[in-house]
Amino acid sequence: MLEIKNLCCNVKDEKENILEDFSLKIKKGEIHVIMGPNGTGKSTLAKVIMGHYKYEVSKGDILFDGESILNLSVSDRAKKGIFLCMQDPTVIEGVTNSEFLRTALGEVTGEKVNLYTFIKDMEKTMEEVNLNSNMLHRSLNMGFSGGEKKKNEILQLKILKPKFIILDELDSGLDVDSLRIVCQNINDYLEEYPDTAVLIITHYPRILEYIKPQYVHILKDKKILKTGGEELAFEIEKEGYKGVNIMIGNENHE
Amino acid sequence: MSKILYVIDNNENKDYNYKIVEDTIIYHFSINSSSKVNIDLDKEGVSLYYYYSDINYEDNSFEIVVNHNKSNTHSEVINHGVNVLEKTLNFKVDGVVLKKSSKCICNQDNQIINMSNGKSTIFPNLLIDNYDVDSNHSAYIGKFRDEDIFYMESRGISRDACNRLLLNGFLISSDSIEYEKIKDFLLEIENI
Repeated sequence: MLEIKNLCCNVKDEKENILEDFSLKIKKGEIHVIMGPNGTGKSTLAKVIMGHYKYEVSKGDILFDGESILNLSVSDRAKKGIFLCMQDPTVIEGVTNSEFLRTALGEVTGEKVNLYTFIKDMEKTMEEVNLNSNMLHRSLNMGFSGGEKKKNEILQLKILKPKFIILDELDSGLDVDSLRIVCQNINDYLEEYPDTAVLIITHYPRILEYIKPQYVHILKDKKILKTGGEELAFEIEKEGYKGVNIMIGNENHE
Repeated sequence: MSKILYVIDNNENKDYNYKIVEDTIIYHFSINSSSKVNIDLDKEGVSLYYYYSDINYEDNSFEIVVNHNKSNTHSEVINHGVNVLEKTLNFKVDGVVLKKSSKCICNQDNQIINMSNGKSTIFPNLLIDNYDVDSNHSAYIGKFRDEDIFYMESRGISRDACNRLLLNGFLISSDSIEYEKIKDFLLEIENI
């Protein structure tokens, strides 16, 4: 579904690459995790896949369903089915959750959204993610707690029904109960749409107690240094990233 | 219950004078117009909410003076302008609290979005001659934030639709506006 080939990218107008010769292949229905120390480019990877304006790709390619998406706008990537659940969702004053999501749904599906059906779907989904329905009419993420913002991201995901989900630090700002609710909703979604692929970006394996991955990758020195199963994440928690260096025999210890 | 006034200017220059003696909300919508507004808060304890929303295509200005002539008066002035073309748009916004007027609240929020390379200026003035006033002002001139547009686009919303949503949110900045009364202004937002 998603194939990243020898990707080099940098912040626009800066020479140093953040990712270098980075490659990754994610097939339909697979769940992958990327872990790594602070500042190794995990969130950059998420933003580059989505087409963030601050970054440019100097080499390599990103294919989605076999087609390069590098020349596509951010909204066209979203329309193809890519969804980035953001680490710190933006607050937009004056634009209500309701009009935002209704517009998004109309654009993604290419169909006129029936207001009654939309409101009913929203109310049902808001209940599932444990968000108060009055948030529908509030400005986007305005006055929301960290947990409510993340739940709002999952609400959007469930309404827009993407094929490929990137979860960037989903667990940051979430208490144990909220994390459980959010992960339960993601698991329900994956059960309903089993072809959906997921890329989880995280520092901690806490989220992996709820969402079970097939692959865990360690990102360091601008590329993937090691790939393993779920157990690799727990080794990291126990040994730290220095431990990973030793495990793979890397001389470049931090 | 506040008294509510709607003012709509469409390609004209006008002066307005208000003597406020009861709690009042004024929605002032302007399409390519200039205006001068003078407001006297003339009764102790009254409040005024003034929402100015402006779509500008030529060289225009908006000036507003709010005089807190009595104690315990409260003003909130919210001015939002969109400078569409490469023209000049000026806001001059004065909050005046006299020495005899104590315990007043005098706030203003001013923002102009430049849709192209127009020249916009804001003069946010608080002229306060008293020590017990609660007062804030802010001014922003620029474009819609790139991060906001990225977020909206990342949900599949095209750039045009993003701008439309942001413009609506910016220019219709109160939930309690009766849309029937500002049909022309709403249509004009669609034309930007």
